[in-house]
Amino acid sequence: MLTSQFLTYVAFFVLSAIALIGAFLAVTLRNLVRAALGLILSFMGVAGIYFVLEAEFVAIVQVIIYIGAISVLILFAIMLTRGLMTSAASTQNSQWIGAAFVGMLMFAVLFFVAITTNWPLAQPHTISDLIPRLGADLVTTYLLPFEAVSLLLLAALIGAIVIARE
Amino acid sequence: MPILVPDINLRIIAPALIVTVTAIVVLLGELVTPAERKRWLGYLSIAGLVVAAFAAFSLWGANASGFSGMVVADNFGLFLTLTIALSAALSILLSIPFIHAHEIDQGEYYVLLLASVAGMIVMATATDLIVIFLGLELLSLPLYILAAFQREDTRSLEAGIKYFLLGAFSSAFFLYGIALVFGATGTTNLAKIAASLAQSAGSPMLSIGVGLLMVGFAFKVALVPFHWWTPDVYDGAPTTVTAFMSVAVKAAAFGAFFRTFQFALPALALDWRAVAAVLAVLTMTLGNVAALLQSNVKRMLAYSSIAHAGYILIALVAMSANGLSSALFYLLAYTVTNLGAFGAVIALSDGARERLEIKDFAGAAREHPLVALALTICLLSLAGFPPFAGFVGKFLIFGAAVETGWAWLAVIGVLNSLVSVYFYLRPVVQMYMSEPAEGWSGIRVAPLVALALLIAVISVIALGVFPAPAIALAAGGLIR
Amino acid sequence: MPIDYLPILVMVVVVVAFAAIALTLSSLTGPRHPTAAKLEPYESGMPPFGSARRRISIKYYLTAVLFILFDIEIIFFYPWAVLFRQLKLFGLVEMGVFVLILLIGYVYVWRKGGFNWD
Repeated sequence: MLTSQFLTYVAFFVLSAIALIGAFLAVTLRNLVRAALGLILSFMGVAGIYFVLEAEFVAIVQVIIYIGAISVLILFAIMLTRGLMTSAASTQNSQWIGAAFVGMLMFAVLFFVAITTNWPLAQPHTISDLIPRLGADLVTTYLLPFEAVSLLLLAALIGAIVIARE
Repeated sequence: MPILVPDINLRIIAPALIVTVTAIVVLLGELVTPAERKRWLGYLSIAGLVVAAFAAFSLWGANASGFSGMVVADNFGLFLTLTIALSAALSILLSIPFIHAHEIDQGEYYVLLLASVAGMIVMATATDLIVIFLGLELLSLPLYILAAFQREDTRSLEAGIKYFLLGAFSSAFFLYGIALVFGATGTTNLAKIAASLAQSAGSPMLSIGVGLLMVGFAFKVALVPFHWWTPDVYDGAPTTVTAFMSVAVKAAAFGAFFRTFQFALPALALDWRAVAAVLAVLTMTLGNVAALLQSNVKRMLAYSSIAHAGYILIALVAMSANGLSSALFYLLAYTVTNLGAFGAVIALSDGARERLEIKDFAGAAREHPLVALALTICLLSLAGFPPFAGFVGKFLIFGAAVETGWAWLAVIGVLNSLVSVYFYLRPVVQMYMSEPAEGWSGIRVAPLVALALLIAVISVIALGVFPAPAIALAAGGLIR
Repeated sequence: MPIDYLPILVMVVVVVAFAAIALTLSSLTGPRHPTAAKLEPYESGMPPFGSARRRISIKYYLTAVLFILFDIEIIFFYPWAVLFRQLKLFGLVEMGVFVLILLIGYVYVWRKGGFNWD
């Protein structure tokens, strides 16, 4: 049991490191295509953390939507913009000090929350009873948000056509 | 595993449902309507909004909740629904000639506007943070596109991108806030959050979560210091879209803001009332002072809308039944007044060439006396002069603040109103005192714009002279 | 339990190790006689032409956006499909409404020529 817990910790720290390194590359690399690849690395680390947290469905969604689809969209968006493809503009502008300050403040606040909260432990479960529960909630308790999502997707669809039509 | 039967109550979401169905019909209509008949899609949209308003009215006093406590049809939400439907209908009246003149008359314009209205109604009647969030997204996403709808105009595209980036950013804050509140209370339902907080003390996680929720709302209603996007977006977006979002987004977002804070979080009132009071002072003051410096009418009205968000926030600080009803009345008064002001600005434009600098208004009173009079009435109402709607609204809000011991806040509000008189009167002075500028000849006011303007001005006067019925409707808004 | 993923971890380690060892060994032991033709990028046997940093058509963007939207739709299918039989008729009707709204979007995109390449 001790080794299991130990391995979980190791997995968490390795995956966190992957997510952080990816995020760091995404914001510091000057070549946007490489920055996007850094972002994908970060997505992968986050997906792994979801697995460690036993949120398997969210982890799979992360892989399918973010790594599978959104990354492709970001790369396409870079490649269809003439200026962005080859630009090596600086990733810092005059506001970086303010942004860094706000970012650090946000981190300090959330860090404070993380260490002062008495985190309750979730009941042990397996993926095979989690997903049916999600499905049942989706069409009963969360029916209204569920249908609202389809309307949101429809609006996004129309928006994509309006914006990208030639 | 037993499966519950869903708690379906289509009647209480009838207004949102009707707007959604109208949007879908208009979308399909767009596919079969020839280019010269696109205006009929606009008329169809208005018809849908009128039916939705009747549905909301028929639900008056129902006080029913449904969909497992996700939405409620109480008078508070229904009043906002009516306000939102009115603002959308007036905006479409202004839009039909406007988008024709600017050669962007596509049915998608109305579809996106209606989708946004559906999101607003959902947000104003939601009693669960998840549904509030989805309403927020559903109202915002179409507006990002509408802001960029003049695709030939780089400023419109800039407005769309800025609005999208900052909107997405604020959504992230809001969502993080929901997550932390859920972590602290174990639920996203407003009633259950209130029940949970009545029993247990707060925690740092809860406070930070509530703070992030406030940041999310503050972005949407443009409170200082989360207002930076407003002038650029309002300035760059098509004028009719600016008119619509300056009023309707406020109604929806303030509705959810009040419901979340006053109903679900009274346990933390000591903290958030103080923060909201500071935000209200900053917002009113900065909005009015910045509006003094503008030479462009759209930017002036953008800063003015920031200032008005500050006044409405005073009603939240008051946290009383009177505060709630005064906010509802104020939102309605602001809706008709601001749409009237934008309508007059659109009426004075020359086809696709808009007259947006204040100095361009010189001599308008001689060429278009009625439009100039309408604009004057609306600007006086915005400044808070009696006997117009804006005066009653301010009177009620400041009264609610004094009643609950926030007299100093009311004093700052009154001082701000005095400052605002100066910039609201500047276009009036230009119109009446200056010699006519060039290019006035041959401008015809489109009949639909004239109609919208007439409805707005009559409402401004009616709400100012006979406010009692509207106040009575707003006072029935039992929050739950 | 996260420990259940141990076999996957082992597989990841083996795969990475195999790739690393195979590449290192072949680069260490293989003969190396570079010529201009050998150093060209491999494009399925075609002679490479043009810059790789060309600007691509905006049509790809539309395709990618449509892909994301329908991808998200499918995600919502999954937990529903797992429980399909127990959800009886109401589950079917609810998913029907969900799909219908997106189907209208599909018809719209189709009629607007969103799927046409030319």
